[in-house]
Amino acid sequence: MNSPLAQPRLHGNDGMPAPPANRVATDPYVAALRPVAGESAGIAPSPAPPTKVEIRNVNFFYGKAQALKNISLSLYDRRVTAFIGPSGCGKSTLLRALNRIYELYPGQTATGEVLVDGENILAPGLDLNRLRAKIGMVFQKPTPFPMSIRDNIAFGIRLYERVDQSELDERVESALRRAALWDEVKDKLRQSGLSLSGGQQQRLCIARAIAIEPEVLLLDEPASALDPISTQRIEELIAELKSDYCIAIVTHNMQQAARSSDYTAFIYLGELIEFDETERIFTHPKVRRTEDYITGRFG
Amino acid sequence: MTADTMLAPATAGGRRRAWGDTAFHALTLFFAAGVLLILSGVIVTLVVGALPALERFGPGFIATNVWNPVTERFGALAPIYGTLVTSAIAMLIGIPVAFGIALFITELSPVWLKRPLATMIELLAAIPSIIYGIWGLFVLAPFVQEYVEPALINTIGEVPGIGLLFAGPPLGIGVLTAGFILAVMVLPFISSIMRDVFETVPPMLKESAYGLGATTTEVVWRIVLPSTRVGVFGGILLGLGRALGETMAVTFVIGNSHHITASILQPGTTISAALANEFTEAVGDLYLSSLIALGLILFVITFIVLAIAKLLLIRLEKQAGR
Amino acid sequence: MQVYTRRRLVNYLVIVLSFMATSFGLLWLVLVLSTLVVNGITAITPSLFTQMTPPPGSRGGLLNAIAGSLVMTAIATAIGTPTGILAGTFLAEYARVSWFGEVVRFVNDILLSAPSIIVGLFVYAAMVVRMGHFSAWAGAVALAIIVVPVVVRTTEDMLRLVPAELREAAVALGAPKWKVIVMIAYRAAIQGLLTGVLLAVARISGETAPLLFTALNNQFWSGDLNAPMANLPVVIFQFAMSPYTDWQSLAWGGALLITAAILLLNISARTLAAWSSFKQ
Repeated sequence: MNSPLAQPRLHGNDGMPAPPANRVATDPYVAALRPVAGESAGIAPSPAPPTKVEIRNVNFFYGKAQALKNISLSLYDRRVTAFIGPSGCGKSTLLRALNRIYELYPGQTATGEVLVDGENILAPGLDLNRLRAKIGMVFQKPTPFPMSIRDNIAFGIRLYERVDQSELDERVESALRRAALWDEVKDKLRQSGLSLSGGQQQRLCIARAIAIEPEVLLLDEPASALDPISTQRIEELIAELKSDYCIAIVTHNMQQAARSSDYTAFIYLGELIEFDETERIFTHPKVRRTEDYITGRFG
Repeated sequence: MTADTMLAPATAGGRRRAWGDTAFHALTLFFAAGVLLILSGVIVTLVVGALPALERFGPGFIATNVWNPVTERFGALAPIYGTLVTSAIAMLIGIPVAFGIALFITELSPVWLKRPLATMIELLAAIPSIIYGIWGLFVLAPFVQEYVEPALINTIGEVPGIGLLFAGPPLGIGVLTAGFILAVMVLPFISSIMRDVFETVPPMLKESAYGLGATTTEVVWRIVLPSTRVGVFGGILLGLGRALGETMAVTFVIGNSHHITASILQPGTTISAALANEFTEAVGDLYLSSLIALGLILFVITFIVLAIAKLLLIRLEKQAGR
Repeated sequence: MQVYTRRRLVNYLVIVLSFMATSFGLLWLVLVLSTLVVNGITAITPSLFTQMTPPPGSRGGLLNAIAGSLVMTAIATAIGTPTGILAGTFLAEYARVSWFGEVVRFVNDILLSAPSIIVGLFVYAAMVVRMGHFSAWAGAVALAIIVVPVVVRTTEDMLRLVPAELREAAVALGAPKWKVIVMIAYRAAIQGLLTGVLLAVARISGETAPLLFTALNNQFWSGDLNAPMANLPVVIFQFAMSPYTDWQSLAWGGALLITAAILLLNISARTLAAWSSFKQ
């Protein structure tokens, strides 16, 4: 497997310690994210973890209009990769290409390759249902199904497996626990999913997604419709889930990206401008435009 | 999940899923085609049933005014005439009234009154035809006979020319009464479509006109109506389609006489009333076939009117960008 | 007269006229309903519900007519509702932008407003002539043909209202399309679908013309679906047009019953619609 380090524009360095950050230190807010200036100086970047999803030369079209231009990057297993960039520039489009959910809408097409564990999922003839069993998605707006909390989770499980009641109950409980929702709903599993608060609904959606035991989780601005406290809980949840899944998260909140992710991809006007370890992107971004975005000069 | 390939459904689960989708698609397609089948069935049975009469009487069937079950000579002119005249009266009365109601509800009524008013007008549409029929026969017809028709006969009836329209003994039942009840029955439909269409006019457009000092009438006449022309016309045609096909209300009060007279105070008949009254009593294949031919003519007329209305409303939706 | 004064006068006139038009509409509503109540209330006695339709000149009730109407309405709803829902599902889920879907929608709207007596003629030729006799089945089928377009329309409208995000969430879990429709979309739209069915039932409750030459009428109680069956609308027609006062009185009673049932169904449909939008 090609090391992503060999690609140009991604990691310019090849393992040498990073020089002190003086270019971006002028922005006090960004500097505050990295509490100790010299911290990164003494730490060698970790060896590249296994690649779970490799995106190669992906182009995306809404009819004739091109929304993604030749994107190539890697999503690593057991890590969180954040897609950042101004609104409408292609972050969500890229995310939605990964589970081919765009195919619900005629006229939207993707070219290129997306290799999940080596298998190209953009190939025709793919069993889309099995793709989506492997790659789960949580959307911006919480979307509980119009059924009980228990049935919400059971719905996904029953799509793939025939389980009896007691095992189903165990699986439901396990999913709700891992989504940090169990304690709040354990007494009201029969109530409608719509009766929960916004933050709880979103955690229900996360529980629903992980109940079918995917390997990759795609999160499309999962906290943007929530209040700050719920947002924080979601972020804590992501940090916990990281150890089991390869996670990609789209966010327009840069601070969230800096807090929660290991790798960050900056996408602007459909092009991948820069992709690097989060620490590096936010302390010394290599491309001028990235720096401008991070320091708030536009977007 | 397992690490095996995700390519084409090689597993039983995948095959089952694909089969489920195809089956459901086929099921819904089948019933959607069923809708088309119903319409085709209607057309075919009407044509087949009407064929004997049409063959016998030829195209003159539409233009001949005769209806004699004994000698088996039939001509559709009287029912067709009655259908057209009653519908015309219904439109003449119904359109302005419907417009007035739509205008009142959208522009003049206080906000808290809008929903209740709209609901009550819609209740007019919910009342079935037969209720209007017996009400017309027992309440309206006697009233018309005693007060309205004598008044009309003595006033407009005396005027040469137009007076012919209002001649004859006051019977209560007849073309005018039938047309009037039809007007009451169709005005909720026309009014409701007009209301919907008026409400699509952007408030900012109206506000800028009001801001310039225009009166309500002027805003409606010069801004709302012109921009909703297509929808209003479509609504009117829809009302016309209903009026043409109305059966029970008309049957009770039209008088059921296969005669054509200039006076609208006289009894007459419409296609649907003739069918309702005579079909079960009809003896003889030609009689039956003539009645079905009447049905075919009615169907063709209403189909054309409804098709035009539908096309107009489709064009309206396209303009709105749906 | 100055322009300004003339404009004001015209405006005033139009306002008065439109007020009169609205009062006109409401007046007839009140008149019809009150006449119905006044004339029909005397006939609402227990015997209305316990005795059969009588021969002219004697007392009786409307039991067989009421029962017959209930039976045929139920059968028509049972036939027409699944047909309409599935056809409407096709339009909303598989044919949002297709020429075939446009044709079906067009035809459906024509059927929606087509004269119901034509439907009666069709079923007469297709069923009564074939079977050789009038029957309750034919009546029910004629009513079902009137139910279908209403349900198709409301089903398509309600399914289109189900948010795209909800469907996407189900697809993202790997649900096949038919499960997304049946287990998610139907559940989300259930109240709207029910409203459509209620409205369709209200519509056929008062329909007379389609029954005139299909189910005909029956003086007696009949449990045989293959024979003519008594029903309220045709009984009302026959009794009201007759010269006998006790028949006419029964006709008013039946008319009041039908109207009350229809109003009740309409109110239920509206309440259901309001309740579902309140829950959102």
